[in-house]
Amino acid sequence: MIWAVAAALWVSLASGVYLCLSRDVFRVALGLAVVGAGVNLALLASGRLGSVQPAVVPKGQPFLELASNPLPQALVLTAIVIGFALVCFSLALVLGLIRDAGTDDALELRAAEPVPGNDIKPPATDPAHEPEWPPEGRA
Amino acid sequence: MNSRIVILAVVARPLYLVILLASLWVLLRGHNEPGGGFIGGLMAVSATILWGVAHGTTAARARLPLGDAVWPAVIGLLLAAISGVPGLLDGEAYLTHRAWTLAFVSVELKLSTVLLFDIGVYLAVWGALAGYALALLAVDEQEQEGGPA
Amino acid sequence: MTVTTPNAAMSVAGRALFTLAPVTALAAVLWLLATQALPLTLSWVWIPALDIELAFRIDGLSALMLLMITGVGVAVFVYAGGYLSGHPDQKRAYLLLGLFMVAMIGCVTADHVLVLFVFWEGTSLLSFLLVGFYHERQESRRSAQQSLLVTGTGGLVLLAGFIVLGQTVGSYRLSEIIVLVPTMEVTPTLTLAMGLILVGAFTKSAQFPFHFWLPNAMAAPTPVSAYLHSATMVKLGVYLLARLDPAFGEWPLWVWLLKGVGSVTAAWGMVLALRERDLKRILAWSTVATLGTLVVLVGLRGESAALAVGALLLAHALYKAPLFFVAGNIDHGAGPRLIDRLGGLRRQMPWTAAAALLAAASLAGLPLSFGFVAKDVISEAKSVGEVFTFARMANTVFGTIAVAVAGITAVRVFWLRPPPGAVRQAHEGGAALVLPPLVLGLVGLVLGMFPLLAQDLLAGAAMAMSPAGAGTALTAPLDPQPDVGSLLLGLLFGATVFLLWDRLYRGLEWLAGRTGRIGMSSIYERTLAWIPRVAAGITRRAQNGSLPVYVAWVLASVAVPLATLLWLGRGQWTWPAAEMPSAGLAGAASLVILGAVFACLMRDRLVVLLSVGLIGYGSAVMFLFLGAPDVAYTQFTMETVFVIVAAAVLLKLRRMGLDRAVPEPAWRPGALALSLLVASVLTALLLAVYATPFDPVLSEFFGEQSVPAAYGRNVVNVILVDFRALDTLGEVAVVVLSLLAALPVLQAWRRRARTPVAGGRS
Repeated sequence: MIWAVAAALWVSLASGVYLCLSRDVFRVALGLAVVGAGVNLALLASGRLGSVQPAVVPKGQPFLELASNPLPQALVLTAIVIGFALVCFSLALVLGLIRDAGTDDALELRAAEPVPGNDIKPPATDPAHEPEWPPEGRA
Repeated sequence: MNSRIVILAVVARPLYLVILLASLWVLLRGHNEPGGGFIGGLMAVSATILWGVAHGTTAARARLPLGDAVWPAVIGLLLAAISGVPGLLDGEAYLTHRAWTLAFVSVELKLSTVLLFDIGVYLAVWGALAGYALALLAVDEQEQEGGPA
Repeated sequence: MTVTTPNAAMSVAGRALFTLAPVTALAAVLWLLATQALPLTLSWVWIPALDIELAFRIDGLSALMLLMITGVGVAVFVYAGGYLSGHPDQKRAYLLLGLFMVAMIGCVTADHVLVLFVFWEGTSLLSFLLVGFYHERQESRRSAQQSLLVTGTGGLVLLAGFIVLGQTVGSYRLSEIIVLVPTMEVTPTLTLAMGLILVGAFTKSAQFPFHFWLPNAMAAPTPVSAYLHSATMVKLGVYLLARLDPAFGEWPLWVWLLKGVGSVTAAWGMVLALRERDLKRILAWSTVATLGTLVVLVGLRGESAALAVGALLLAHALYKAPLFFVAGNIDHGAGPRLIDRLGGLRRQMPWTAAAALLAAASLAGLPLSFGFVAKDVISEAKSVGEVFTFARMANTVFGTIAVAVAGITAVRVFWLRPPPGAVRQAHEGGAALVLPPLVLGLVGLVLGMFPLLAQDLLAGAAMAMSPAGAGTALTAPLDPQPDVGSLLLGLLFGATVFLLWDRLYRGLEWLAGRTGRIGMSSIYERTLAWIPRVAAGITRRAQNGSLPVYVAWVLASVAVPLATLLWLGRGQWTWPAAEMPSAGLAGAASLVILGAVFACLMRDRLVVLLSVGLIGYGSAVMFLFLGAPDVAYTQFTMETVFVIVAAAVLLKLRRMGLDRAVPEPAWRPGALALSLLVASVLTALLLAVYATPFDPVLSEFFGEQSVPAAYGRNVVNVILVDFRALDTLGEVAVVVLSLLAALPVLQAWRRRARTPVAGGRS
């Protein structure tokens, strides 16, 4: 069983990171969601996969026997909810970014670049991504 | 998109009620069967989304407890926080839960701070995630908002 | 000095009050020596978890240092009252000097090496503040920065050495270390510790190749130079070496390093003095050279060498501090300190001239001065100990130029005819400026005439440095016998250098002009200039303004070390056993894999979103087949809500005309490689963890206690709302708070959408 989980984990993590490394900020947000799903799988599996019985004590019995490990389930459950909040938050940031910068291409976000003539951190020389400098330079 | 899918608008009302009731059921049985505040809260969020898609986010927001998403979230958080106080008063650690059984003529009513805590989680999840979802849905709505709604 | 506003200048009473501090300290030290039996130990628990005690131990060596610190301290405080009189920051100088004295006292009495280190760094820091006292001058700031960088870096190296030493030896107490180390084998670790400690001591005591900072520190006010950079702080390195000499003294490496580095410093420092025209810098180089001689003496074996270290420490403090005071009096009363513009000052400054003569006699080692006693003990030590030829030659250079320096400071500027262009106007300072050098000089004279007075003190210090024996060398009375021949020869050589001083200066300048800048100073400056350039280069590459590159840096800096660790430990972990998954699980895993592959391949964002949804649903089904229904339901519901919401955002983007894909290549091999690396590392980590034995105690506890203690049969829910309720509360609070943080961003969007032409960005 662990190998099936590991295969799903491997592919979904790789896919999530690949999306995160995109220039497209919307893809980056989706990548976060995919990485989150993969990590949840890993978290659950780290508590060992054995019985596939739900971790519910049968009626009339005093304690749990031969069931799946409840502890990682509790962790994953909250992780899902927090992960959803995180992805929604990053979607909100993506929207805020698009509203302020008018673009969803991460390479066109050059507002934090140094001004020309800054010799401590000279600006990039790639003309394709040369930012448009305000006429008076930035304060 | 300007004319919303009519069927959705028609079935939204009964479906909304059914999902909310189901979410409450999931919440209440959660201590003994699969379920609980988190799942119940998320089901309630999906009910709100349904209403938002069918009738617009403003209407969906108005149907939330106290008419906005932030209120249930904050109240839920407060309920969960308060539920730990009785244990504290008894001299035990914060959030040590207490349970009482009230017996009526033939019905046993179980009351516990655990239930209060779970209701708090339910409300907080509902409020917070519905708040996110409605705010994000609303972004897409702006253009036709000026017309019919 | 310039007159400043009255409330800024300090009153005489205020100065006297500050001067009380070293006077009290001196009195305490004298009382201690008179009444207490050494060694005296004190200790308080400081950091019990790290086994660090505020342990202090006062033995003969500490006592000698304490006397110098407090005795010269009194002179310096009195002198500072006159020298900085009217300076608006005089109070700051007093405060810093007082703190410095405390740090010094702590340093020479600490028994725990980490406590010693704390005080050691304190002296470096205070030295920085004091060298930069005239902070409005750029030169001061540069010098202060240089001394802090050199001694501060040395201090960190020293700390590393102390820790390595303490961990190897098993004790951080100096008194135990010096007993334990000689019984231990010479291991590379111990040698490393020794090397690190040597670097720390050499930087502090300005030994070659770290000698350059000390003359530059002369930008400090003269009282500070006299106190820190001649009499006390720079001696800390020598003190530490003397302290540890019983531990490492039998190691050939230790002995050869001390002798070699000390000799080079002694000779080279004196030669560099010839290149200076500033009186203070000449004195500074002679201090460097004296420190070198002290290091050589520490390296010599035998009790007489230990005695010589004590004698030279004391003698140097007693003549170098007055000579600095003399230099200070000259710039205070005459203006410049350049020897080209000074001469015949004895008429205007008779008392200063007298003090200069007293101190210079000691520096030159003339009979009846304490310097003579020290010289005698040193030659005694060298006749006993094994000294190689180079050290002898270095010592000859040192002694010769020392005589010449004494001549420059005491004879040339006071007694010789003023050169053309010399200052004519000069005046003697007040009592506060004249008394300290005179008194210190007179103490030197008295001790020189009656060396027996210092016998006990020096013998006690020597005992601390070579605790093994109490041989005859220590008990034999100090009775220097003038060796007329060598004395006269030394004076003759010295006088020759003194007379040829200006010619030698020109010769050296010509030579330096030919060779260019190759000194340590220029290496230091080039290093400093190199730091921002390297930093800019790194910044330019690491933070090039591209979000994917940032993400890649973060991920790679996690994944690469983890991958290395996993690779290094590959022998220790096993793969989990392969077993056939259930059909449901395999199907669900295939859904996840399918979704993941589609998410990477597809260009259309809506399709990507649906693929992501497929991953979520697939993992929900996996949860279901892994016996986690609660998680599965949560994941189902969450995924549904997420897809609807994200689709709404996508529709909005499409309406804004942003639906076309960002112009990036369809295949990004670099990103693919990195993502495969990250995924492989984390998956391998999971598998490695999975194969290790599992400790189920926590899960079993929850399973057993769920019904009896929490009245709930759904263990997952019980954990969430009861056993770990505080965690859940925190997590729910995070979700609610994140909503509160996100709402303003989204509501700003709403407002803008309502007023589309309201004039740009709000």
